[in-house]
Amino acid sequence: MSGASQRSGIQAMVIAVAGATMIAALLLWALGANPLEAFKLLFEGSFGSMSKLSATLLVWVPLVIASASLVITYSTGLWNIGVEGQIIMGAIFATWAARTIPGPGWVVMLAGIILGIVGGMLWALLAGVLKTHGGVNEIFGGLGLYFVALGLTTYLVIGPWSREGVASTSGTDLFDADVWFPRIGSLDVSWLSLLLAIIAIGGVYFVMRGTMFGLKLKSVGNNMASSARLGIPSNRYMLGAFAVAGGLAGLAGTTQAMAFHHKLVPSVSGGFGFLGILVVLLAGFRAAPVAPLALFFAALSVGASQLELRLDLDSSVGGVIQGTLVLFVMLATGWQRRRAENRAAAEAGGSN
Amino acid sequence: MLELIDIHKHFGPVRANDGVTMRVEAGTIHGLLGENGAGKSTLMKVLAGFISADSGEILLGGEPLEVSNPKESVTAGIGLLHQDPLLCLPFSVLENFMLGRPESFVLDPDTARTELEDLAARFDFQFLADATARSLTVGERQQLEILRLLSLGVRVLILDEPTTAISATQRALLFATLRKLAEEGMTVIFVSHKLEEIDEICDTATVLRAGQVTGEVVLPVSSSELVSLMFGKAIIPEERTDVDLGEPVVDLRNITAIERLVRLQDVSLTARAGEVIGLAGLAGSGQQTMLKVCAGQRKPDAGTVVVHGEDVTRSSYNHHMGIGVHWLPADRLGEGLVEGLSVTEHFALAGDTPQGFVVDWAGAGEEAATKISHFSVKGTTESTPESLSGGNQQRLLLAMMPDHVELLLMEHPTRGLDIESAEWVWHQILERRNDGTAIVFSSADLDELLRYSDRILVFFAGRVLRELVAADADAEELGYLIGGKERE
Amino acid sequence: MKVSNGRTWRRWAVLLVAFALIGAACSDDGDSGDTTAAPDDSTETTAAVSEDPLKFGMILVGPRDDRGYSQAHFEGGEYVEAKLGAEMIVVDSLNPADKPETTVEQVVADMIDQGAQLVIATSDDMKDGIELSAAANTDVPMIWVSGDSAWVDGEAYRDDLTNLGNVFGRMEFGKMIAGCAAALTTETGQIGYLGPLINDETRRLVASAYLGARHCWEQEGNSADDLEFTVTWIGFWFQIPGVTLDPTQVVNEFYDGGVDVILSGIDTTEAIVRGGQRAEAGESVWAIPYDFEGACAEAESICLGVPYFNWGPSYLGIAESVADGSFTAEFQWLGPDWADINDKDTSTIGWITGDAVAADDVEKLDAFIAGLADGSINPWTGPLNFQDGSPFLADGEVASDLQIWYLDQLLEGIDGASSS
Repeated sequence: MSGASQRSGIQAMVIAVAGATMIAALLLWALGANPLEAFKLLFEGSFGSMSKLSATLLVWVPLVIASASLVITYSTGLWNIGVEGQIIMGAIFATWAARTIPGPGWVVMLAGIILGIVGGMLWALLAGVLKTHGGVNEIFGGLGLYFVALGLTTYLVIGPWSREGVASTSGTDLFDADVWFPRIGSLDVSWLSLLLAIIAIGGVYFVMRGTMFGLKLKSVGNNMASSARLGIPSNRYMLGAFAVAGGLAGLAGTTQAMAFHHKLVPSVSGGFGFLGILVVLLAGFRAAPVAPLALFFAALSVGASQLELRLDLDSSVGGVIQGTLVLFVMLATGWQRRRAENRAAAEAGGSN
Repeated sequence: MLELIDIHKHFGPVRANDGVTMRVEAGTIHGLLGENGAGKSTLMKVLAGFISADSGEILLGGEPLEVSNPKESVTAGIGLLHQDPLLCLPFSVLENFMLGRPESFVLDPDTARTELEDLAARFDFQFLADATARSLTVGERQQLEILRLLSLGVRVLILDEPTTAISATQRALLFATLRKLAEEGMTVIFVSHKLEEIDEICDTATVLRAGQVTGEVVLPVSSSELVSLMFGKAIIPEERTDVDLGEPVVDLRNITAIERLVRLQDVSLTARAGEVIGLAGLAGSGQQTMLKVCAGQRKPDAGTVVVHGEDVTRSSYNHHMGIGVHWLPADRLGEGLVEGLSVTEHFALAGDTPQGFVVDWAGAGEEAATKISHFSVKGTTESTPESLSGGNQQRLLLAMMPDHVELLLMEHPTRGLDIESAEWVWHQILERRNDGTAIVFSSADLDELLRYSDRILVFFAGRVLRELVAADADAEELGYLIGGKERE
Repeated sequence: MKVSNGRTWRRWAVLLVAFALIGAACSDDGDSGDTTAAPDDSTETTAAVSEDPLKFGMILVGPRDDRGYSQAHFEGGEYVEAKLGAEMIVVDSLNPADKPETTVEQVVADMIDQGAQLVIATSDDMKDGIELSAAANTDVPMIWVSGDSAWVDGEAYRDDLTNLGNVFGRMEFGKMIAGCAAALTTETGQIGYLGPLINDETRRLVASAYLGARHCWEQEGNSADDLEFTVTWIGFWFQIPGVTLDPTQVVNEFYDGGVDVILSGIDTTEAIVRGGQRAEAGESVWAIPYDFEGACAEAESICLGVPYFNWGPSYLGIAESVADGSFTAEFQWLGPDWADINDKDTSTIGWITGDAVAADDVEKLDAFIAGLADGSINPWTGPLNFQDGSPFLADGEVASDLQIWYLDQLLEGIDGASSS
């Protein structure tokens, strides 16, 4: 049964990818580009060389961590739209560490990681408490807190943490080079970021699959009332989910500040939280498919800059291809799920 | 004349309909009877275009009926009324009425309003066209859906277990409506597993068992004949056995709990070990609230709850669980089981396997396998509750009950179950009773209350109107009391 | 210098799609189609003319068609293409909001891969990236527009980056002319300056506008003490709700408080738009927009003129020097071509006098411009004090480039904050 549904899932996926590719090809053709060449550029621009692969992984890290965070909240039935804000708070806290904590580089990095996690966690818990104790839906609470966090970075960057004389979106001064996350050779990507990303997604996979905490989160997410009957305090577990997810988002923010920008910039979250929502939707809210899907999205984003450079296309074409693909996959899985539901409903048919 | 001829519908190895033939004269009310899983719903879904048959033929007025979806089927004149019609809740009654009409793109609310009001008046239905669908009771939703189907011109009306969730008054009104429709020439198919209803409303009936027709009858016939057609054997209800009562397990004193619609006021109740107490009353008379207070799900506004001498009035629900209070809600999927979680996962959460940081999948899986086989749950350890039938959901809930329960609280323990499942469920419950568990349950089924309770508390408007010793009471008296009247 | 004016629509599009999908995922029939935003940017390709054309990269912070700062650079690049037969590779909207996945270093590396012999980073924001890139590719000439890294006397001189030059326009002249036009026109003697955020560049531009205004005000026989010149900083180059002041509200408060001419220093058009609306309602108000040659079109009848950048000539010079191998990392701070400040082939900054300047004032304004041109007028001449009363320039002392570039306080006579 599960083998069959997996097969039809893969079938739906193949149909979706084929459909999306066709639409993308048509679009590129309409824009006057050779679709084959464009696809080749997309691939070469993201995996074609070590430095391109490194650029892709640089994007993959925050995306996969943010997606891991979202898996936790989605499993608990929470739409943590505020993930962007939590990433930003993580970056702010990490920046504070990088700017003020003295000591050798590894101490500052460790402090940055811990504080980043704390920052994201606090911001998420705020959204959580607003929901559990204030009755504010987490979508609105999270969105509101996102704007507050956004305002706070902008304020910090052009205010207290601005560069000498020149305040602008260029962000704060670069951190000292010894607190930049250590890179792999001459590549841009840091092995420490990669390690953190793998720990994050691996950890979430384990928590959701193997721990009572994960199982209870899933239970609360699927049915709060029944979970309460089984003795699972839903508010406490929702806050737990917010704390863990916020911590992860904060970690994503830390990598953005300490491994990507090496400073605080106003848009430090890079929209990876929102992009993570798409990744997790496509992953069916499960942890396992997140890593490859995030890699695919990262590659598409990074590769798309080649379309602009080489073909003089607007680089947002990459975003459109991405959106088309997501749409197709959602339609295909929705269609497949509905078929499965119809079948299940019909099988249960006799039982009134 | 509606004819279904040799309908086959298989789901994998399951033969849901295995050559069913059924004929219904126009202007009659035809019953479709069978236990859970007999294939009633599948047959009706085929008829209404929700699923297509593997083979077979449907003739309406002698013409072959070719429909591939519900919309076409409505156009062809066949309408299916769901148990709980899926209305668009934020919309008004009128807007729901207008949904699905083959109208032009522009809506014409005035005509629709007149039509709605005329139809409603014809059947004595009373609702406001501008009220939101959310504010309607299940019975009123059915009424609205019937009117909507009528306005779409259906000639065959299928009702799938329509009385499960509606009040007695609404049931009477529904039956009156059906009779009126039949007199006007409408073909009505009434799907049910309740013998008395079939007997009360239908002219003729078809009985299904395991996907096949086991009988076509012209009513009235004896209940025992119908039962043997349904089950292939006659079911003998369990004989009443009384056990010696032990110490009081729970003592509720002067409980007051005010809710939006229910005002439970000054109610007391004591249940002793081995005692079965039935709570009777119309929905919303306070018995549900009483059970919730007892379970620790809701703190009373006044009064005390004592379990085994310990005052637990202010204690949490989890504390109640810890001292052996167990609660089985009526809404099995809504409040009892967690959809999307497998049976094994349920046992990992609630079973006797000890909980650590890491889930003991092996232990939980083993427990699940043992329990579902012991409780005859038709499913696997990987099944999710929403894929189980109502009876199997209740079996799973019972299977998940801890070994040691002092006080078992149940809402409508057999609602929606066929006779066989209901008997089985009570058999399990009474075994617990024999081990000294105190049992308090609410039910709308008078026979159930009378048969299994030692005492019955009749609730009316938030108070206990009367306490009866079940052995001395009869259904008629109970019925009057539930309606708030003493027998004349 | 400038940033994209909030083109974060991409992020919103993603969020919107997410919500649409949430909707689709929740509804029973998940087959409702949703559409994503599709770009309508038309694209052009330019063909190489000569056999072995110069290739150069142009990195823009905003969209290439923003009718403002980035478009001016883009058109400068097109000018080079036309004049030199060169080929331009463009990446636009490069900022962390619009292209979070891309860094300046990556773009520069890609451009060099593609054969770019010169890379121009057009925004102040790109400092870190272009400096890192210059250090990593010492054989490729690069330009950081608005920067000071190649200024030997400057505060941030990088003698190690011998391949990174700077270029900027002396917008101070444009702002002085604007200030003069404002002073000639004002009836109330109150001029408002709608400032973005506070830094060296914006301080020197506000001071220039003030000095130009004071000069022409005194020429008219008024006392400098009677001139009220106020700057209100909104906090950023454009409005960010909740973070900056609302420019429209600032404009309204200026006009309500007796200011009748507003000079805009921000990216967006609130001053001229709101001024135009109030003028239609019968008020005597005027405005001076910024940056885009065609900006007066928003409300011709109240527009006193507009100062703008014209990057073509400076970019052409740099490109030629790269082509013939004579490129050196220089700091260039280029003024207008006084022979014709609107000559597209020679003048790095320009000024277009608006229709709303009275005929006799046009003559006076032209005289002021002529004075600036021949050096007979230099408003940056002492005695001048800083805003806090401390001396800036002694009597007769002329401000040096360093003093103007790194002006760290506003001048006496200007109301408004000198630092944030």
